[in-house]
Amino acid sequence: MTEVTLSNVVKKYGALQAVHGIDLDIQDGEFVVLVGPSGCGKSTTLRMIAGLEDISGGEVSIGGRVVNDLPPRERNISMVFQNYALYPHMTVRENLGFSLKIAKRPGAEITEAVNEAAQILGLDELMDRKPAALSGGQRQRVAMGRAIVRHPDVFLFDEPLSNLDAKLRTQMRVEIKKLHQKVESTIIYVTHDQIEAMTLADRIVLMRDGHIVQVGTPLELFNAPVDTFVATFIGSPPMNLVDGVVEDGQIVLDGGVTLPVPTTAGRLSEGQAIKFGFRADNLMPAGHAVDEDGAVYELDLAVTLTEPLGTETLLFTNMAGVEVQGKMFNPRPVRPGEKMNFRLMLDKCHVFDAQSGHAIRR
Amino acid sequence: MDRNQAHRNRRRLLKTAHFIGLFLTMLVICVPGLWIVLNSFRPTVEIMAKPPVWVPSFTLDHYRAMFAGAGEGGVPVFSYFRNSLIVSVTSTFIAILIGMSGGYAFARYRFWGKNSYFVGLMLFRAVPGVALSLPLFIVFAKVGIIDTHFGLILAYVAMNVPFTIWLTDGFFRQIPKELHEAAEIDGCTRWQAFWKVEFPVARSGVASAGIFAFLTSWNEFALASQLTRSVGSKTMPVGLLDFTAEFTINWGGMCALAVLMIVPALILTFIVQKHLIAGLTFGGVKG
Amino acid sequence: MTRRRLPEWLVLLLPAIIVIAAVVLIPLLFSLYSSFTPYKLTRPSTLWKWVGTYNYEKILSDAKFWAAFGRTVLFLTIVLNLELLLGLGIALMMNKVTWGQRTLRTILMFPMMFSPILVGFQFKFIFNDNIGLVNNVLQSMGFNAALPWLVDGKLAMFSIMFAEIWMSTSVFAILILAGLFAMPRDPLEAAKVDGCTPWQSFRHITLPFLMPFIYIAMTIRSLDVARAYDIVQIMTGGGPARRTELLWTLMSRTGYVDARMGLANAMGYVSIILSILFTVYFFRKLSAARAELGMAG
Repeated sequence: MTEVTLSNVVKKYGALQAVHGIDLDIQDGEFVVLVGPSGCGKSTTLRMIAGLEDISGGEVSIGGRVVNDLPPRERNISMVFQNYALYPHMTVRENLGFSLKIAKRPGAEITEAVNEAAQILGLDELMDRKPAALSGGQRQRVAMGRAIVRHPDVFLFDEPLSNLDAKLRTQMRVEIKKLHQKVESTIIYVTHDQIEAMTLADRIVLMRDGHIVQVGTPLELFNAPVDTFVATFIGSPPMNLVDGVVEDGQIVLDGGVTLPVPTTAGRLSEGQAIKFGFRADNLMPAGHAVDEDGAVYELDLAVTLTEPLGTETLLFTNMAGVEVQGKMFNPRPVRPGEKMNFRLMLDKCHVFDAQSGHAIRR
Repeated sequence: MDRNQAHRNRRRLLKTAHFIGLFLTMLVICVPGLWIVLNSFRPTVEIMAKPPVWVPSFTLDHYRAMFAGAGEGGVPVFSYFRNSLIVSVTSTFIAILIGMSGGYAFARYRFWGKNSYFVGLMLFRAVPGVALSLPLFIVFAKVGIIDTHFGLILAYVAMNVPFTIWLTDGFFRQIPKELHEAAEIDGCTRWQAFWKVEFPVARSGVASAGIFAFLTSWNEFALASQLTRSVGSKTMPVGLLDFTAEFTINWGGMCALAVLMIVPALILTFIVQKHLIAGLTFGGVKG
Repeated sequence: MTRRRLPEWLVLLLPAIIVIAAVVLIPLLFSLYSSFTPYKLTRPSTLWKWVGTYNYEKILSDAKFWAAFGRTVLFLTIVLNLELLLGLGIALMMNKVTWGQRTLRTILMFPMMFSPILVGFQFKFIFNDNIGLVNNVLQSMGFNAALPWLVDGKLAMFSIMFAEIWMSTSVFAILILAGLFAMPRDPLEAAKVDGCTPWQSFRHITLPFLMPFIYIAMTIRSLDVARAYDIVQIMTGGGPARRTELLWTLMSRTGYVDARMGLANAMGYVSIILSILFTVYFFRKLSAARAELGMAG
């Protein structure tokens, strides 16, 4: 029973406010990812949960117990650091067993717990090496092993994969997910990489400038972003945004293209300045599209650049004077400058208020 | 072809010049020390001989006289050695404890005016020993700790603390902060985290800071010459003066004592040279 | 429970502050006070007589003091510059060595470990006009006259400087060498390809990178410039006829031989200010050089 609750949590560094009153309920066993651009306060929030930063205001409770003033050691948490923070003077075995040794557990119990962790993470061969003799991926695994040995109530991960190369990162992502399925503890994970957030999280908390922008499952954030920031941060490539105005119940984009209002959009007032958003997946050339249900708007656009990715090709083109990206499935070679007939899936499009950036939806 | 030849010649010339320069440098560095060692094994007659005797003979007379203790005109070398050892070891130990705690504060905490504190502490190290010895002599005499081990130890601790702070600050700063955070999350108190994680990692650095402090005390003269008077507290650098009389100097005996002084210093330096350089430069460059 | 506690950093620094205050600060305050009295060790009651700035006026109008002061500044200027240049040269030579570098570097550290007093004796022995190594070698090579190394004023000054430089050049060489080791290779190689001569790449790439290391060495050196006292005291005692008198030897003579503590302490303050000026100057240079290379933080 270890839910983590933040209520109105604030962090100030002197006059500078890094975290502005965050509210968050994390369920027992949930995998929550805090994501956002650097400087958004996600790491600070995590460190406040860990007890490594003082809490300037509000309350943090773990398992129903307010922990604001408790030192880290009394919170029963464990943490994996960005730079692993392995103890360089200890072997892998000693690193893994350190927390239990500090807690003065009997030797047999330590050995058992260490061996168990080593087995889960495949560290058996490395037990007597020092961290300096390990590769990046191995260090990463030891850091995780050190975290699971204690069976903590909550796991905290602070950008644990950012120092690994791309291939290892994908591999470790899978291992972390497997680990979560095995230990079933609550995990709070900080990253700036939206792909990590999407693939790992039960729930994503997207932050910016010390505020929570949106909380939801990966698909909720992907399909129903609350504003243009979420829309461009989540998903790759980022959502296309084109400026426009509401006229006669229709949307007129700045370049002169007129579109019907998507069915997903909420009430729009006449003359309102908006941003029209759609993902590359929903702008496809005829004959190379999938999922043709729903309202479709057709338009001819000249392709300026292509990025073949194998199963699909990204097409760069200009719509109403703005560079946008579309996707071509079952791709064929495309010459730059070639005009193609594109189909825009209107039901999947988004309308944002131009001024506030908020989504206008039903 | 010709240009290649010219460049090759030039390179050869430079190489020779490099070798000669290096050789002369090493010669100038080594000869004075070796001269002392050599003369500590030569009989006095030979040292004083005119014209000079170039083929040295070998004798242990000076060492024998030195270790025979305070015999006729002899110098109580054992007492001096013991005093030096007691004073240097104790003051180093205390200076390291105090300096380490200060260095840790500079490396790990942010506080207002940190740089000024740091420079301020260093300035106390810059006070010339002679200038300090005058008032210190009077104050110590008033308090009654002149001519005692305690007084000298106290003075050396104060002298060594600033530089120890400089060095340990550098060593602790090389240790990532996360290490100590990880230890705290693993269940350590701040105190435990320091002694179980940060201290062992910085150990070799702290050891070299210790040796630096030890050598400073071991070699110090300006303060010791005023704060010590008797056989019971005089250290070796002061004892060296015992070999000089009004008009004559017992060169051989002095050389023997010099060798006794320099050997421990050399051994210690040899052990820590690598860490010492790392500590000095890191603390300074990444300030 | 809510009793205000000292911040942790202050608790950690407190022992250092206390020790330094007790052993350095209080005596210095005392000596500052006594420099305004005619205090003589032989007559303790003189401590309570206030004479204002008499001592300072006296030393400031004393030709012997100014001679010693000027000589000290000159001595430090020559010695520090030569040590820097020689140290730089030695470091560059050592950096080029491909074989036995570790051994050479260890040898290079030897002089650092010599007690200044020992250095003094060593060179007093070597420069001895009768039985010294230098004169013995010169005479064996056919010079007939024995050069009065420590008796002639100019030669004595030279001998002292030689001893001082012998002792302290290592600090520069070692630290500059550390800088050379830490130096990235790419900029030098880029410069070579761009057509720089060895001198140009040294001047525009190597030297700027070495500056912080040079200033560290200077700062460390400036902390104990007064070590020269030990050497001078042993080699010449300020003589002959005060020709090698430095601020520090003059002060110690005034204080301990003439027992005029008040006057000596006034001189002491001049020497302290001199040392502090040196140190602060190099500390500032150090942080400026650091900021320039973006090494701060």
